[in-house]
Amino acid sequence: MSRVVIVEIAFVAATALLALLVAFRAELTRVRGGKVLAFVALFILPVLAVWGGFSEHMERAQSTRFCLSCHVMEDYGRSLYIDDPSYVPARHFQNNFVPRDRACYTCHTDYTMFGGVKSKMRGVRHIWVYYLGTVPKPEDIKLYHPYNNRECFHCHLGARRYEEASEHHKQPDMLAKAASGKLSCMSSNCHDIIHDVGTLKDATFWKGAP
Amino acid sequence: MTVPFIERQIKRGGVLIALGLVVQLLTFASVHPLAFVVFLLAGCPLVAAGIALYLYSLVAHEPPGSPPGFGSVTRPPPAR
Repeated sequence: MSRVVIVEIAFVAATALLALLVAFRAELTRVRGGKVLAFVALFILPVLAVWGGFSEHMERAQSTRFCLSCHVMEDYGRSLYIDDPSYVPARHFQNNFVPRDRACYTCHTDYTMFGGVKSKMRGVRHIWVYYLGTVPKPEDIKLYHPYNNRECFHCHLGARRYEEASEHHKQPDMLAKAASGKLSCMSSNCHDIIHDVGTLKDATFWKGAP
Repeated sequence: MTVPFIERQIKRGGVLIALGLVVQLLTFASVHPLAFVVFLLAGCPLVAAGIALYLYSLVAHEPPGSPPGFGSVTRPPPAR
């Protein structure tokens, strides 16, 4: 547990205790000092505590552990360890091209609560389905929209290795088409081997991972 | 001895806030989407309700001897 989280927990606990003190000693508010104490304990500190809690939860939601905490996502986590560099996520994860503790969020920046209102509603629906509905098989889970090249370009756009790769010059305007979104990085015969969780049972896995 | 209105509301507000913060503390124990949803749908509303109750008690409070007027929540005595 990080120091920030410990401070956050201590702050929330202290705020709760202070709120209880004011609640059960409400006669303190008959004097000016008590009124100020009540305002701090019942307004200022709770607002700060909730704001801090929200930030902490948003921070946690970006972690790989958070994304893989649902059983249905476990295979997607395993796919990061496939011992085959043609698997795009595995290659990025194993070579630290993405931070390992934020592997999912680095490439899926608009997923559920990090996307628009529709994405947020989908996130709530996912939880509903997970606990009260019929959970689909991992291999049946698809993105709602085609994968956005923007996620790749966070790192690759302008990179020499990307710009000069011979595969990216098979057609004269290939880079321009990819940049404008007319050509998907994950289109057929390009980087089209992604998580492919349906093939995990036949895959070999990298043993060097922690 | 009766407890003044404002102190009753402060007590209720404080308890609600403390409950909400306890829920928030419990959600910190888990890194899971459900923890976030519980924080958002239970912890936050409890704290918000407590704060609202406290603020309401401030605006609804009438110091002894003050004339009923703007912001008063008690009815004026009926005209004779």
